Amino acid sequence: MKPMLSTDLNAADTTVEKAKIEVKNLNFYYGQSKALKDINLSLPERSVTAFIGPSGCGKSTLLRVLNRIYELYPKQSAEGQVLLDGKNILDRSQDLNLLRTKIGMVFQKPTPFPMSIYENIAFGVRLYEKISKAEMDGRVEQALKRAALWNEVKDKLNASGLSLSGGQQQRLCIARTVAVKPEVILLDEPASALDPLSTAKIEELIDELQADYTIVIVTHNMQQAARVSRQTAFMYLGELVEFDRTEKIFTSPREKRTQDYITGRFG
Amino acid sequence: MTAVSEAATSSAMRTREATVRRFAVTDMVFRTATRLSAMLVLVLLGGVAISLVAGSWEALSKFGFSFLTTESWNPVTENFGALAPIYGTIVTSAIAILIAVPIGIGIAVFLTELCPRPLRRPIGIAVELLAGIPSIIYGIWGLFVFAPFLQTTVQPFIIWLFKGIPGLDSLFAGPPYGIGLLTSSLILAIMVLPFITSITKDVFDTVPAVLKESAYGIGCTTWEVTRRVTIPYTRVGIMGGVMLGLGRALGETMAVTFVIGNAHRISASLFAPGTTISATIANEFTEADGNLYTSSLVSLGLILFIITFIILALARYMLLRIDSRTGA
Repeated sequence: MKPMLSTDLNAADTTVEKAKIEVKNLNFYYGQSKALKDINLSLPERSVTAFIGPSGCGKSTLLRVLNRIYELYPKQSAEGQVLLDGKNILDRSQDLNLLRTKIGMVFQKPTPFPMSIYENIAFGVRLYEKISKAEMDGRVEQALKRAALWNEVKDKLNASGLSLSGGQQQRLCIARTVAVKPEVILLDEPASALDPLSTAKIEELIDELQADYTIVIVTHNMQQAARVSRQTAFMYLGELVEFDRTEKIFTSPREKRTQDYITGRFG
Repeated sequence: MTAVSEAATSSAMRTREATVRRFAVTDMVFRTATRLSAMLVLVLLGGVAISLVAGSWEALSKFGFSFLTTESWNPVTENFGALAPIYGTIVTSAIAILIAVPIGIGIAVFLTELCPRPLRRPIGIAVELLAGIPSIIYGIWGLFVFAPFLQTTVQPFIIWLFKGIPGLDSLFAGPPYGIGLLTSSLILAIMVLPFITSITKDVFDTVPAVLKESAYGIGCTTWEVTRRVTIPYTRVGIMGGVMLGLGRALGETMAVTFVIGNAHRISASLFAPGTTISATIANEFTEADGNLYTSSLVSLGLILFIITFIILALARYMLLRIDSRTGA
């Protein structure tokens, strides 16, 4: 069965900007079961793209293909193409560690490493760069400022990352991701475990970060998608139902299923 | 009509009260039973400690503190000192742990991170079977197979290798007997390996997948994830496994008795025969004729008891300090 969405329609809106990531004919399997069915979409550079859809629709799966984190688990496999700046990252020859320094990821639950706040950030940087202590101090400060966390933690950089509140931990994880200077940042429901105030801070942060990074966010929260993203992809049962500019998806979607979902008729 | 329903209600109430009363009784019995079980542990521990102290009284009051610092162990002149077995116990256990911990952690990392799924269970089971082999089998294997092998190949090579290097040449000085401190340490290392491996593997499995994913997500290799995330996250559990292994190594009797050589002396060389506390007790209990001899052996038991206790206490203390430092 051919998906109802054709790639040409999609391209009309996005060719204006340079595509950072292009997904072509992507299928994904958990063992025998097919979780993504022939996905085609292209994510423009330096803007925020949201993936929305009911639970189990494949939006997180799609996100996890983009940095190949799914490969940690046997029996999960992807076929098709994912082009990052025109180069297929699903290719066997792609170095995974290198790929993941280019494509950072922040998870649903905050995951500070079991070390100090300073080390949480310095750790990732040190993996790929040899820099002096002074430079490292600068990088840590810059990353924490970027994540709007500096003022809250500057006096306790040696405290454990685990001693922070949930919202602070999540911003620490964003700072950690930003510090390694990725090109793309993947956010997997980054605010779903946070209170409204922390959520607002994270959203503000996403808005600022899109000046420098290509951002992909998976979210359950449709208001959040509407607030932070430039384009939105609606997914359902492993298919990409509709992909368009966010205003269009939320005001005049082309597909009935999209309309039903955003008006709360199912999902 | 109201009378009828009231009667019905009150009889329902009555059965309910009876049920509740019955529950109260079972609950009381249950609580008392669990409390008694817990108490039993304390009573047993206290009983063992008291009987050890009572049994060792004669020797300790005769030799006093010098019992701990005397090397000689002479049943003929009835002059006993515990230094050699204490030394042997601590040295063999320490070396065993030094060897077994890196290997155990290595196996655990391989099994949790790198092992292809079909191999995971067979290797895991093989490691656990290693723990199920009775220590007497390690003993005879050590004496008849392992020790001759060490004697003819490994030990001469090491002696030759370190000849003339200050420090190392006395640590590995000949002649190669095959049996001795190092052989016991190696056997002990094999024996404690499954404990350390299976506990480490279990605690590695408790690391949240998402934490590892985020470390891989910033470009870490498996080594970096293990070194900087998995091990720090699980160090309390790993320490627990190491302590369990150490406890086993300190108290292991049969296998060590076979291969250590049972000589009451302290030598600089690890190839020399020595003895441990438990090996001494096992070897000499049947021939201990005098009261003082028996009492000295019981004193050794008391010392082993105390060493184990101190090591467990130290482990607890270390863990407390680690926890308070990281604020976790």
